[in-house]
Amino acid sequence: MSFITAYCHLRENVCSVNGELVATLDKSSEDAWFKQIYKAQEFVYPKFYKMDTLSQAGYLASELIKRAAPYIVNDYADDEIALIFANKSSSADTDLRFINSYEHNGAPSPSLFVYTLPNIVLGEIAILNKWYGENMFAVLPKFTPDFFLTHTQILFSTGSKTALCGWLEILGDKIHAFLFLIEQAGTGKPELNIENLSNIAGPEIIHN
Amino acid sequence: MSYIGAEVIISPLGETTEENWRALSENRSGITKVNAAGYNDENLFLGSIQNHAAESRFTALTIRALSQIAEKIDRNVLSSERTIVILSSTKGALDVNVTDQFQSPAAMLVEEFKLANQPVVISNACISGVLAINVAGNLVKNKIYDHAVVIGCDVISDFVVYGFQSLFAISDQPCKPFDAARNGITLGEGCGAVVVSAEKSIFSESPLHLLTGSSANDANHISGPSRTGEGLFRSIGKTLNANQISGEEIDFISAHGTATVFNDEMEAIAFDRAGLSHIPLNSLKGYFGHTLGAAGVIETVASMQMMRNSTLLKSVGFGETGTSRSLNIITENRQKELNTVLKTASGFGGGNASLIIRSL
Amino acid sequence: MDNLKEDLKKQIIEQLNLEDITPADIADDALLFNDSGLGLDSIDALELIVLLEKYHGIQVTNPDEGKDAFKTINTMAAYVQKRKG
Repeated sequence: MSFITAYCHLRENVCSVNGELVATLDKSSEDAWFKQIYKAQEFVYPKFYKMDTLSQAGYLASELIKRAAPYIVNDYADDEIALIFANKSSSADTDLRFINSYEHNGAPSPSLFVYTLPNIVLGEIAILNKWYGENMFAVLPKFTPDFFLTHTQILFSTGSKTALCGWLEILGDKIHAFLFLIEQAGTGKPELNIENLSNIAGPEIIHN
Repeated sequence: MSYIGAEVIISPLGETTEENWRALSENRSGITKVNAAGYNDENLFLGSIQNHAAESRFTALTIRALSQIAEKIDRNVLSSERTIVILSSTKGALDVNVTDQFQSPAAMLVEEFKLANQPVVISNACISGVLAINVAGNLVKNKIYDHAVVIGCDVISDFVVYGFQSLFAISDQPCKPFDAARNGITLGEGCGAVVVSAEKSIFSESPLHLLTGSSANDANHISGPSRTGEGLFRSIGKTLNANQISGEEIDFISAHGTATVFNDEMEAIAFDRAGLSHIPLNSLKGYFGHTLGAAGVIETVASMQMMRNSTLLKSVGFGETGTSRSLNIITENRQKELNTVLKTASGFGGGNASLIIRSL
Repeated sequence: MDNLKEDLKKQIIEQLNLEDITPADIADDALLFNDSGLGLDSIDALELIVLLEKYHGIQVTNPDEGKDAFKTINTMAAYVQKRKG
C-alpha cells in the first residue's frame, strides 16, 4: 500500500501546498510569477534564474514539497527516491524560444537548447538534491492517475522506496504543475488510489 | 520471464533488419556529407535517410516500423487490449508541429493499427530507448500488459542540428567513438522497434530474453557528463544485481559512445569502475550516427542481430585509445557466441540506463 | 575602451538573463567563471560566443579560444578590440 504524503499545485496565479495557499500572483509586481514565489519563499539557488519555465516550476514545487516533508532528505538513501514526471506538451514552450533564437534573434542559443528536453527538469531536481535514483519522463494526452499508480508500483518493486511524481504542463501562459510525493508509509495520509489521486489533483487537471 | 524479439531497424543503411544487418556486417556506415546542412550553410556529416517522404517523416517511419513488426508476430497481438505501444523519442514530429510533437503521431498509430490502448511516449533525452525497453519489460513482468511494442524514432531537423552546433558538439568528420581524435557527435535518424512479451509463442522467429535493467541519474550537470561516471556505474551495478548476473558473464557491451570528448571518457571510467573494461565493446554511432531517442532501441536491435549471427561488430571510427582508462574496443568483426549482452545509454539531464539481453 | 566594457557588461546581463545584477555589480577584473565572480558555467561560455557574433560580428570557431578571452571583462574587451583590429 502507498500513500500520497505531500503535494503542491502551481497554476497561473496561485500556488498551494497540501491544499493551503502559499502564494498568489501579484499583478503589480515587476517580477515574473515564478520569481515572485522564489523571492517570497526566500529560496537561495541562483541557478534558478538560468532555468527554463519547466525546470523553474519543477524546482519550486519540489522544494515546497520538501518543506512540507523535510524528513525525506534524511530518511531515504540517495538512490531510493524515484522521479516520475509527465506532461502533454513536452518541452514545447522552450522549443519555441529556441526556434525564435535562430529564426529571429541572431543565432541558436546554447543555453536555451539544453532545456529543449522535458526530462531536464528531472536532472535539475537530481542535481540540487544529489539524488541518483530512477528517472522517467512521459508525454501523455492528459493527466492519467492510472499512469502514476502503475509506474510507482513498478519502481517500488525494483528498489525505489519513494517517488516524487509530477504533472508539469507549461505552454505559453498556461501553467498546470501538480507534484506529489508517494511513500509506502503514511499514517493518516490518503492512500494512493485513482479516486484519491483524482480528488487531490483537482477537476481542472482531470478535465483539461 | 520477458521475451524480446521481432526486431526492426529502419536507417540510412536500409529499410529492413536484414538490409541493416548486411550493411553492419560489411562495416558500411550510413553517414554521408550533406551540403549546406548547418546554421551557416556549412556542409555536415549526417546519418540521414535518403528518399523518404518530406512531410511527417516521424509518423511515416513509425508506421513503417510497426507494419514490419506486424509481420513478425501473431496477427492478433497488435490490436489486443493486452498490448501497449511505447514510443521513445526526443523531438517526435517537431518539424511538423512544435506544440504537438507526439500526440498526433500516436493517434495515427492508433488509427492505422487499431490499437486498443493509447501509446505512452517516453522522452528522456538519449536514454529514452533503453529506458522505454525497460519500461516495457517491467509492464510485462508485472502483468500490467502481456505485450509491449517499443518504437524508438527521431528524425534530423534544423532544430537539433543548430542546437548541437551551438554546443560545438558536432564532429567535422564522421564521428569516432572512443578514438583519440574524436571531436563530437554525428547526428543520425532512424527508427528501431522490438516486441517485449510474456509469451514466446507470439514470435515467428525465436525471441531472446530481456533482463530488465534500471536507470540512475548522475546528479551532476544537465548537459555535461559526470567526471566519475557515477550514474552509469550505478545503473550497471543495479542492472547486474537485479538479474543476479556477474560481470564475467557479459560477452559483449553495446556502449553509448557518442564520440564527444567528455561522454566517452565518462563511459570508460564507469566501465572501468564496474570491472568491465576487458569485455569486448563497441559503439554503433559510427554506423548510424547519434539517433537520439531512437538510439537505445536501434542499438539494442543491432546487438540482438549480433547475438543471432554470433558476430562481434567492429566499432567503426575507432583507431587509437582516447580515454584515460582503456577499453576492449572491437577493431575487426569476429565470430563469437554471444549469450549475454549489456546495453547502456547516457544522456542530457544526467540520465543513464542499462539492460541485458540473454540468449534462450 | 571603457564604453566597450560597459557595453559588454550590459550585453552579458541581457544575453545570459542575469537577474538582479547590474553593470555596476561586475568589476572589470572579476573572474566571470569563478563563484566569487559571476559563477558562469560552460554553457554560459558558449552563450558568450553567441554574444560576440550578435553584437560585435566576431565569429569564434574554436570554443577553447573563448576560455582565455572570457576570463574577465578586461580580457573580453581586449579580445574584442584585437579581433576588430
